[in-house]
Amino acid sequence: MNLTTSKILVQGMMEPMGSRYVPLMMNYGTPIAAGISPGHRGETIGGIPVFDMVEQAIESLGAIDTSVILVQPYLVLDAALEAMAAGIRQLVIVTESVPPLDMVRLTRKAEATGTIVIGSSSPGIIVPGELLLGIHPAEFYRPGSIGLISRSGTLIYEVALTLTQAGLGQSIAISIGGDRILGSSYDYWLNYLQQDLRTEAIVLVGEIGGDSEEQAAKHITQAIDKPVIAYIAGRTAPRRQVMGHSSAVITTQITDFDADLGTFDRKIAAMKQAKIPVADRPSQIPDLLKKALAHKKPTLQA
Amino acid sequence: MDLLEYQAKALFREMGIPVLPSQRIDHCRDLKGLKIPYPVVLKSQVYTGGRGKAGGVKFVANTIDAIAAAQAIFNLPIMGQYPEVLLAEAKYDAQQELYLAVLLDRTTRCPLLLGSIAGGSETDLTMKQLQQVQVDQEFSSFYARRLALKMNLSGELIQSVSAIVEKMYRLFVSKDLDLIEINPLGVSRSGDVMALDGKVTVNDEALGRHPDLNGLQGQLPTRSPASLRSILNFIPLEGNIGVLCNGAGLTMATLDLLHKAGGKPAGFVNLGREGRYGLSPEQLQIQIEQGLELLKQAKGVKVILVNLLSSIVSASDIASAIASYLQRQPYNHRAPQIIVRLVGNEFASAQEMLMAIEVPTLDHLDDAIAKVVSLSKSKLA
Repeated sequence: MNLTTSKILVQGMMEPMGSRYVPLMMNYGTPIAAGISPGHRGETIGGIPVFDMVEQAIESLGAIDTSVILVQPYLVLDAALEAMAAGIRQLVIVTESVPPLDMVRLTRKAEATGTIVIGSSSPGIIVPGELLLGIHPAEFYRPGSIGLISRSGTLIYEVALTLTQAGLGQSIAISIGGDRILGSSYDYWLNYLQQDLRTEAIVLVGEIGGDSEEQAAKHITQAIDKPVIAYIAGRTAPRRQVMGHSSAVITTQITDFDADLGTFDRKIAAMKQAKIPVADRPSQIPDLLKKALAHKKPTLQA
Repeated sequence: MDLLEYQAKALFREMGIPVLPSQRIDHCRDLKGLKIPYPVVLKSQVYTGGRGKAGGVKFVANTIDAIAAAQAIFNLPIMGQYPEVLLAEAKYDAQQELYLAVLLDRTTRCPLLLGSIAGGSETDLTMKQLQQVQVDQEFSSFYARRLALKMNLSGELIQSVSAIVEKMYRLFVSKDLDLIEINPLGVSRSGDVMALDGKVTVNDEALGRHPDLNGLQGQLPTRSPASLRSILNFIPLEGNIGVLCNGAGLTMATLDLLHKAGGKPAGFVNLGREGRYGLSPEQLQIQIEQGLELLKQAKGVKVILVNLLSSIVSASDIASAIASYLQRQPYNHRAPQIIVRLVGNEFASAQEMLMAIEVPTLDHLDDAIAKVVSLSKSKLA
């Protein structure tokens, strides 16, 4: 992912989410070059031109790096295919509840074309002070050196706010999304943060369900040497209860397969095995971070 | 959304997966007009498994026996669930029983074909012999044959079973299913195959584009589907603190914090994420009021904690939704005490507005949790 992009597109510009969230991004200084909404060509929103199709925007403005997708769930697949066909290689899908089999097709095409996909059901990416690709509440964030990754929406806001209040700014915050099938994994973003020069430590905000935290713990042992702190939500969540979005269905429908998959205990055990400190509440994260950073500094100088 | 066996079998029939002649029984008297020749099997139509072992499946040889058996099954709860309908089905002599399923694997983002040579009710045996094939590219029939071979099938069964798997896969994709399972797939002495029991789970998110399946929801009176469309669900727990929150992660974190501080949640209402298409700020305010009403009416709620974070709805707007809800309460009415946790630029004015109507409003989550837990334990609250 290249976040020093200059040309950003919004698909679903004139639709409800577009009109709500595009001003957030614009106010944050995100360089939105164009919006797409079929039937609205020639209109402008805050000076940003709107086109009927992605290819028209590119014809008129030149290559576009990134598209933020805000169309309704059943149109996400088509919007993403349209963007990829037009050569866009970075997609941020904010829309929630995209049907899983649509995401399977979407991610297959993304792999074949080398496209990076964030989401679906993701508030996107924020580089505090610089760029908002999505819907993070900017006022909770401050520039700094902590990289944040999560599957959650509002919970990553909570953790960002906690860090900000403790004087720990953030280098970048990414939510990979809450839907069941996602375009990119924790692993991809852990690698990104590992290479990101501004990031000194990483906070992984996980939750029960699925096995992405377990995978991430394994990956951290193998490939990440920056300090990582984890927090996992859902210790006391009722078992086999849908909490609101699909990724938190506590096991897959077939409990017979692996009754422990995605439980809190499993995730904590995976973190412990990878020697990743786990905060038992969001407000403990700053302390653990400060400890980890203090511990790390001498070895850096050595 | 889960389908009942008879609904799943209707989909199988449509797709050309062989099923036995059967008839839906709504009342015992329907058995008098039974069109299937005896002997027949009567099956309780409930969502849970293990109904055979629980006595929810009975073989009958004539109308008198059938009516008696049907009465017994209608009155037999299985895991607490009474059937609304029964399925009367022809009897089948299976020489062998196989297990087949198609589902979506979240980690690899690929559909999985599953099969076991040991189908039937002995789950342990089925699991021991379970084979899987990942559909990692565009589906073609060979994936189904690959599964058949892994299951150790040979001869004509390779073609007949893989043809069933292929039809299951087509159904899985065309109807946006989370799961399709045939257990058992009966194999007769002559090598014919028959789907004897079936389970289908439709993906809730995709339900809106399948009007035929969506229509089945009205026919499922024993369970309300966990659809994202009916987002305002009160999920009951056993304590006395009601939680109104937005987003699954934050809701779970809030419940964890309450437990940790010694509190006991009575349940929660999760207003959902902000990426929900079509949810406007005005609707969020309406949902806050609806959520509070749900919590007020819920059993055992003594204190309510409101914990909401939003990119576009300010603390003041949330506060005014709460204030307007409280102002509409009848005078002298003892609603549960509400504690509000809000953040952001407009916190001060939100706090002022709510403090004026005696609603404690805090910005630190830990402080709000401590306040709620102490109120939940006090005698006066």
